[in-house]
Amino acid sequence: MASGTVAVVRVAPRASRGLWGDAWRRLLRNRPALLGFVFIGVFVGTAVFAPLLAPHDPGALYPPPPDASSGATGPYPPRPEHLMGQDLQGRDEFTRVVYGARISLLVGLGSVIFGVIIGGFVGAIAGAAGGRADNVLMRVVDVLLAIPGILLAIGIVAWLDRGLPQITIAVAVTNAPIFARLLRGGLLAIRESDYVLAARSVGVPTRRLLLRHMLPNSLTPIIVAATLALATAIIDVAGLGFLGLGPPDPRTPEWGTMLTDSTKFLRAAPYLIFFPGLAIVISAVGFNLLGDGLRESLDPRLKK
Amino acid sequence: MALLSVDGLVVRFRTHEGTIHAVNGVSFDLDEGETLGIVGESGCGKSVTSLAIMRLLPKPAGRIEGGSVRFDGQDLLACSEAEMREMRGRDMAMIFQDPMTSLNPVLTIEEQMVETIQAHRKVGNEEARARAIELLTIVGIPEPENRLRAFPHQFSGGMRQRVMIAMALALAPKLLIADEPTTALDVTIQAQVLELLQRLTTETGTAAILITHDLGVVAGMTQRINVMYAGYIVEAAPTAELFAKPSHPYTVGLLHSIPRLDAVQGEELIPIEGAPPDQRRAPVGCPFAPRCAWRLPDCWTTNPPLVPVRAAEAVVTTGPGATHRVACHNSPTPGEAAAGRPLREGFVAAPPPSAVADELAVVVP
Amino acid sequence: MTKYIVRRLLGAIPVLFGLSIVLFAFIHLIPGDPATAILGQHATAQRIAEMREYLGLDDPLPVQYVDYLAGLLQGDFGRSFINNQPVLGEFLRRFPATVELTIAAMIFAVGVGIPLGRFAARYAQRWPDGAVTVLSLLGISIPVFVLGLTLQYIFAVQLKVLPASSRIDARLQLDLQTNFVLIDAWLHAGWTFDEKVDAFVDGVRHLVLPAIALGSIPLAIITRITRASVIEVANEDYVRTARAKGLTERRIDGRHIMRNAWLPVVTVIGLQVGGLLAGAVITETVFAWNGVGRWIVDAIGNRDYFVVQSTILIFALIFLMVNLIVDIAYAFLNPRIRYA
Repeated sequence: MASGTVAVVRVAPRASRGLWGDAWRRLLRNRPALLGFVFIGVFVGTAVFAPLLAPHDPGALYPPPPDASSGATGPYPPRPEHLMGQDLQGRDEFTRVVYGARISLLVGLGSVIFGVIIGGFVGAIAGAAGGRADNVLMRVVDVLLAIPGILLAIGIVAWLDRGLPQITIAVAVTNAPIFARLLRGGLLAIRESDYVLAARSVGVPTRRLLLRHMLPNSLTPIIVAATLALATAIIDVAGLGFLGLGPPDPRTPEWGTMLTDSTKFLRAAPYLIFFPGLAIVISAVGFNLLGDGLRESLDPRLKK
Repeated sequence: MALLSVDGLVVRFRTHEGTIHAVNGVSFDLDEGETLGIVGESGCGKSVTSLAIMRLLPKPAGRIEGGSVRFDGQDLLACSEAEMREMRGRDMAMIFQDPMTSLNPVLTIEEQMVETIQAHRKVGNEEARARAIELLTIVGIPEPENRLRAFPHQFSGGMRQRVMIAMALALAPKLLIADEPTTALDVTIQAQVLELLQRLTTETGTAAILITHDLGVVAGMTQRINVMYAGYIVEAAPTAELFAKPSHPYTVGLLHSIPRLDAVQGEELIPIEGAPPDQRRAPVGCPFAPRCAWRLPDCWTTNPPLVPVRAAEAVVTTGPGATHRVACHNSPTPGEAAAGRPLREGFVAAPPPSAVADELAVVVP
Repeated sequence: MTKYIVRRLLGAIPVLFGLSIVLFAFIHLIPGDPATAILGQHATAQRIAEMREYLGLDDPLPVQYVDYLAGLLQGDFGRSFINNQPVLGEFLRRFPATVELTIAAMIFAVGVGIPLGRFAARYAQRWPDGAVTVLSLLGISIPVFVLGLTLQYIFAVQLKVLPASSRIDARLQLDLQTNFVLIDAWLHAGWTFDEKVDAFVDGVRHLVLPAIALGSIPLAIITRITRASVIEVANEDYVRTARAKGLTERRIDGRHIMRNAWLPVVTVIGLQVGGLLAGAVITETVFAWNGVGRWIVDAIGNRDYFVVQSTILIFALIFLMVNLIVDIAYAFLNPRIRYA
């Protein structure tokens, strides 16, 4: 090298803290995502602390307001003791909305986790094995994807009967193909990509290649999709409930089921529609906001 | 009166990462029929300069924040968007780097050529089509009648660039800006396309600005060359003069980083060390100082102006007799330029002052 | 191009095959004895024996499957054991109502979504873009039934400007011939032109709320994809070329940007059809819309398995078909595939 030549390295203005650290920082600067966190916090907090938040018992029947004419039946409009009113049987709507968060969270989360596991398993096998196994598994995925969303869930619940585990499985099965496709596609694309080729050519061991290079890169779309799927799952669970396929136990209130029971009173008691409906929307908005925020912050190329 | 006169042009980009100082006061003139090369590595502001002239900077990030651009007697920066639209394609045309992405994939060649002509001339479809066929013939596309109906993806890269040239010359513009027109092409095709460009601009008397990172490309094509670095013109000279007597360390570096067939046996290829400066900061001192082997203490603090190499010479900005100018405190001597490094006894490049050193990690080998 | 279509058609065959297996399994792998499960615990032994006979449960499974497949190919989708009517006939009778609703929802989603997406893209990163983003976020976050009930409450109960449910005012006594209300209004014998117009308008008025409720999710998705697509295309090199040629902004927008931006939008529109068919099940329940969706829900309540099974099969078939058509349309719109 010529004498006196100076190599200069510019100090990066901000130290990079790796993919996850950067993503986390970007997420915290993403205002919609933060709002999503707030909504999810309200939803999860309500579900976890339901017994503390709810003033009454979700299954108990309470007397009508004192000024109701004798012989009148529910629903009764909101008043201080029953903030969201009382349903047809006189149960406290507020308490039921609060407890409803538990079912939504439980079934929603359960079905997405379950869906990610089945779908991820199938996708990983297909993506890693390739060839014939890939072909067969992906045809199965195609079949499941051909059946429109909630219709598949309806079929499965009709087949397995009503109940929380059945609903969870039904929604999980409708989710799973998406994750299978995502993981498979990601693995295939990455397997062929230049940087894995590069890593392989400099002798990075296969195990390290899988754990450090391939998995993190195919995982990010799964994380985003799972967050967004939580929103869909909550809506689908409520949809099943609305169609009369919700959990049968009256002591475990479910938002969709509560809505079905109230459609007849749309004119007289809109509050019985409004509050459970709002609860569903807030939960779904929360996960959708967070999912979008995650997508933006996990993809470093997706800059504004 | 020059056809194009750029004076003190400043272009900045406002991004989420901060302000990018893309072009920092660039001035040059271009006569009718003249061919000017702008040379520099990617990010030096050469493409931004040309987009600014066309007023095609990406909106809303890119903004012209200073200087003036006069073209054919008009102040381009004062023109309305509608006036600019009329001039683009008709008086000033542009060819871009990547012919793969510069043609619209869902429109046929015919549609894209005819719409160019009809945007500026009131002619019928038949007439425009005939002109398109004529143009394709001129740029050397076989069976132009049939090829008109084809889509861009059915052409090879070189053929697409020929279509781009045909389209750019459709309305016989006074100025043609070619931004890295051959960079994306195979080496064998590059020469053909360059030859075509040169022949057509000469025949029609079109003034041309050829932008490239490759000194080899401009060598035979242009009358004058501006060398750009970090948004500045660091050296400007007639082409032959620049190759014979490079006077800026960066130009010297560029000349030494291309392998040459006629190189003297044993002459070494000297790469330019380091990377261009971070343009998110307002420049202080000479932008090339951190990479320069000739730098003096002054280079860290004062950015030298572009002045004639032979001091006291009157400045001529255009034509074959244009003044050789350079922006350097310590120009390499002809001997040093040939060697590619300082030859003065005991000369050591000035270390950065402490204020600068804090911001730079300077590695002295 | 022909090769492409043939390849796509051939590609659909294994999926159809798989679908038939899944749905076959749906009935025949019901835990326990399918006949008992279908008829319930209280069915007489004779009814159960008849059902076993009908289902061919005593044959080996592969034989059962071949029989089932042979039946499907002859258009035998089984019978409802509530009223013993062939499923296909009842399906076809009700299907136009669902189609009418679905098309109306799609027109709403596409007709509003594309302009909205373009609008947002034009003002990208400014407040109109933000407003559209919020709107589309709500669109995908509000379940069809919540939106449906809300619309009913606002426009039917409170404002009383639109009917809350059903397909047409029963007092009009419209003859349902094709079971497309908007067509039957014109076919009704003995009505004057004005009466026909009135009936048609009434039909449209009944469609508005369900179509909006059902179309809200596709609307949100189409808006998003249009916005993203237009923004992406607007940054392409060939758009810069178009500007450098001195074309007017209008022409650049309509010709150079939209012709390319369309492509992903078309694909997404096709994918929405599945969601619309599924959403129709719920929408029809909310709006007492007498289509296939309500039928399926009733069938589940009655454990009328054949109806459920066959409807899912037919919906899946339609979904596959629509996507095939959309893919072909995409290939047609995209010269890079058309002339591949």
